[in-house]
Amino acid sequence: MKYRITHITRYEYQLPASLCHNLVYQVPVNHSFQEVEKVHYQIEPEPHFLVTREDFFNNKFIYFSIEEFHKKLSVEIKSEVKIAEPVWINAIPKNTMPWENVVSWLRSTEAENDIRQFYLESDHVVFIPGIQDYVLESFTPGRPIMEAMLDLNSRIFNDFDFTPGFTDVSTKLEEVFLHRKGVCQDFAHFTLACLRSIGLSARYVSGYIETLPPPGKPKLFGSDASHAWIALYIPTVGWTEFDATNNLLVNDRHIRTAIGRDFADVVPLKGIVYSGAGQRMFVNVDVSRVE
Amino acid sequence: MIETYLQRSRETAKPFFDELAAPEGVVREHWKKLAHAYDELGIEKMEHRSREIGQELRDNGVTYNVYSDPDGINRPWKLDPVPMVFSQQEWENIERGLAQRAELLNLILSDIYGERKLIKEGFIPFEMVFTHKGFLRQADKIKIPGKFQLIQYSADLVRGPAGKIWVLHDRTDAPSGAGYTLENRAAMTRVFPDLIRENQVRKISSYYQTLKNTLTKLALQNKENPRVVLLSPGTANETYFEHAYLASSLGFTLAFGQDLTVSDGYVWLKTLRGLEKVDVIVRRVDDIYCDPLEFLGDSHLGVVGLMEAVRQKKVTIINPLGCRILENPGLMAFLPRLSRHLLNEELILPSVATWWCGHEKEKKYVLDNLPFLIIRSIYRSNENVPYVGSELSKKQIDELRKEINTRPYLYVAQEFVSFSTTPSLIENNLEACNAVFRSYIVADMDKQAYHVMPGGLSRSFPAKGDFIISNQSGGISKDTWVLGPSPVNETKPAVNQPILRQVKNILPSRTGESLFWLGRYLDRAVSNVRMMRIVLKIYNERDDEIHPESDQTLVILLKSLSALTGTLPGFTAPDQSKLRQPEQELLSLAVDTSRPGSLAQSLQSFLTNGYAVRDRLSLDTWRILDSISEEFELMKDNGNDLRKIYHNLDQFIIKLMAFIGLNNDNMTRASSWRLLNIGRFLESSVNTCTILQATLANNVTPDVEKQLMELVLMCNESLVTYRYLYRSTLQLPGVLNLLLINEDNPKSVAFLISKIDEHLNHLPYSHTDEGLSPAHKKLLEALTMIRLCDVNKMVAPGDNAPNKKELSRFLSHLIVLLGQASTIIFESYFSPTQSQYSFVKSNNALPEL
Repeated sequence: MKYRITHITRYEYQLPASLCHNLVYQVPVNHSFQEVEKVHYQIEPEPHFLVTREDFFNNKFIYFSIEEFHKKLSVEIKSEVKIAEPVWINAIPKNTMPWENVVSWLRSTEAENDIRQFYLESDHVVFIPGIQDYVLESFTPGRPIMEAMLDLNSRIFNDFDFTPGFTDVSTKLEEVFLHRKGVCQDFAHFTLACLRSIGLSARYVSGYIETLPPPGKPKLFGSDASHAWIALYIPTVGWTEFDATNNLLVNDRHIRTAIGRDFADVVPLKGIVYSGAGQRMFVNVDVSRVE
Repeated sequence: MIETYLQRSRETAKPFFDELAAPEGVVREHWKKLAHAYDELGIEKMEHRSREIGQELRDNGVTYNVYSDPDGINRPWKLDPVPMVFSQQEWENIERGLAQRAELLNLILSDIYGERKLIKEGFIPFEMVFTHKGFLRQADKIKIPGKFQLIQYSADLVRGPAGKIWVLHDRTDAPSGAGYTLENRAAMTRVFPDLIRENQVRKISSYYQTLKNTLTKLALQNKENPRVVLLSPGTANETYFEHAYLASSLGFTLAFGQDLTVSDGYVWLKTLRGLEKVDVIVRRVDDIYCDPLEFLGDSHLGVVGLMEAVRQKKVTIINPLGCRILENPGLMAFLPRLSRHLLNEELILPSVATWWCGHEKEKKYVLDNLPFLIIRSIYRSNENVPYVGSELSKKQIDELRKEINTRPYLYVAQEFVSFSTTPSLIENNLEACNAVFRSYIVADMDKQAYHVMPGGLSRSFPAKGDFIISNQSGGISKDTWVLGPSPVNETKPAVNQPILRQVKNILPSRTGESLFWLGRYLDRAVSNVRMMRIVLKIYNERDDEIHPESDQTLVILLKSLSALTGTLPGFTAPDQSKLRQPEQELLSLAVDTSRPGSLAQSLQSFLTNGYAVRDRLSLDTWRILDSISEEFELMKDNGNDLRKIYHNLDQFIIKLMAFIGLNNDNMTRASSWRLLNIGRFLESSVNTCTILQATLANNVTPDVEKQLMELVLMCNESLVTYRYLYRSTLQLPGVLNLLLINEDNPKSVAFLISKIDEHLNHLPYSHTDEGLSPAHKKLLEALTMIRLCDVNKMVAPGDNAPNKKELSRFLSHLIVLLGQASTIIFESYFSPTQSQYSFVKSNNALPEL
């Protein structure tokens, strides 16, 4: 499957800003089953300084600064990405390792630190009270890890309401768990907290998903949004992605831009701006199938 | 004196090792000369010397701030006259041990941000690094060229009961105290020159020379003449004094985050002349506060884009961001093995016994022995206060146990160490106090080895056995004396010492701004004090009630005071209640620091701005500033007694004048001095106009006018000049001529304006291609107005009744022009304030599915 992705972020300041510095995590990178064919970005006003770099988790990011007075900022990233069917689609869940064995394997010297680092807590993924009880309902003793995970995925999908506007970046995971509401970030953070609380390695994936228009209607440009889901490490299969927001084992409709411990590592657009007052943000995302 | 100390030491069965008294109750060998000298001096003279030390430190303005206490700003630094003493022989071991430890930590640091082989091979547990907030992933794989990554290092050392030296803490992020150490030594040298000579106390200056040399050599660009700045969190920081002191003694520029900006990948210092490139930053700002873009989004202490400038290799930060990982006390448990592995040596200085709870066996031991241990988070912060096991309740122990079981890798336990005692002079007695010694180590680029300061900062504490120690929790500092001859190579300058060319004297914009305001508040305080003194003089002479109708002079003076201080309506309020009973309003104008315009607020602002530019003021100027500060405290204590306040006002005049005189005398005629004077003269000229308008532009009886003229001249310190010039009775045209027009009178408004104009000419960018700059134009307009005015005509009696309306209009116009000039000057040299906003924080909507 091949997709063309357009991600536009615009900021409008109430008063002109003299200076801004920004980090952008919106550039898709190559994976075994994801091939980035084209990337084009356009930033207005034109940055004084721009550089692309790779971070600790091998994500690509852009750093740029604008050093003249400006009232608007627009960051537009266009890319074409080819997605093949991921290997985990053919894995047989009941044949995967019992989850406790994965936990002990992760603590052996065999496991790489690059994998182990994702069983630790992070800013947004903390071991809140009651979370182990929740996850252990799916991760029953001896259960194959992938089978348990699929069960957890659908339980979260069923137990939690997708409610835009209820949470923001500062909402604590306790709140999400208590009210069982949130957006994709919250679903992902909660899933990660579940898995890490029992000692499994799981990481945050940010990117896009292709959405289909309601039956019989044309798809509107810009109606998509950025998305977040998780990847769980399953020995012999590798990092396997699950999307609790949509109750999916991720297939070829997800396009990934960055991975990290949680949202804080991969904020799509982070910036510090010097201005006399606040600002408003507009985001426009479009994912369309090319072939 | 010493015998008493020894006797008490013999009598009390203590678990402590004593630095001076050997177990058999005699003086240890390396203390003998000192002990003898103390006996000769006697306790009274010791107390006297102690007071001299206090005076010396106060005179030098040595202070520190305490965060938690609203009155904790500028506390005087305390120094015990009795030093901590190390013998030559023992020091050799400590010195080797510290240098070894620095080498070891440097290798560990290079590995943690490099290959991480030590983690892969199991020498350092992975969780201990990856869960530590000091492990900055943004700093991964960034290296300073050469072998040294850890440039500055401090270890806190204590001596256990058996006499062995232990390392209590490693400080690797931004260790503090080296500035205080230098001040301590200076004070001790002044007060005990003989003892320092006789005991062959090693000099500590080599450390500062090495530090300076190293920092200049770490520049990646502009190696010939690098610019080094010391980045301070600001005047409220606990050790701000030493930031300013170190910067000026090492010859670096003191900068706050807002003074720096990142552009084109470089770091720049905002100066009056524009932007100047920065090559090396010595930071006293904690790691994650350094760049709000990459770390804490709401930090206002850092510089946006700093991390990217580091990645661009355009600037070197010392210590590099990420060094805090080495402060992890969990590491202590693994150092002996790491030392054998990396250095092929046994660790010379042991650490306090430490158990990291991330391993099952150690965790079990810790949980079984909680009441006997100190429990620390692996990450030191203000929130993570160590738990003293023996002081916890059953419930707290249970909670701690649960927390350790949930996140074992975040905790370490350490043995409760009894620190050694050392004599300290406390209330006419030599008391045995517990002591901790902080050492200072810096990488020496010439010798490619670590240099250990032969001395350091010791602190002692009356509470015996206190484990948790820092200046925030009190204590007295001690100088640290290492005895014995200096090694031969120490006194010689290093071979490759570059001759540093004098770096162009640069003035950060923020410092310029503070100097400008320092000048304004200085003259505002002077005007306010003078006016208030005159008002109080007249008011205190009265003993009956005030009748606003008949006491015209006093009423006009009171109203003038409201006008001058900008606290309208005040005495000008229509209901006249304050005029009838002015006492409360007068007291408020004198001592109410929260009231904008009050004398107290002007003085407070004067002191605050002085404090912010302390690296620009001479030592003697400091003493005056401190004495003004002391007088200010006295006045606040006199808060309800106008007669006492009158006395304070007298003192203020003398001290403020001394401040002005000293600055005229010894400040180089650079931009800093000019900005201070522009501020002063602007303030002064506006104040003179305001006073004239409020007093002499009223229609009053000739008697009252005469009285007012005399008082205004007094207030302006011009009465004598007037008498000398006119040798006649007071007449309004003469007074106005003297105070406004006469350019030979240094107090006249015309003189002041021409001086402002002159200073402005010497500042950068004062000329434009289109002739006069806007500020010059305003000043010229004001000056011309004065030069052209005809005072005789302006105040000539009209048809029978004198008319002062024209004079009032004239003065109002002048005040407006001067205000506009001030605004233009301010805006052209100091950037208008803009706030820093973070994208993520300010918008609540997450990108949604």
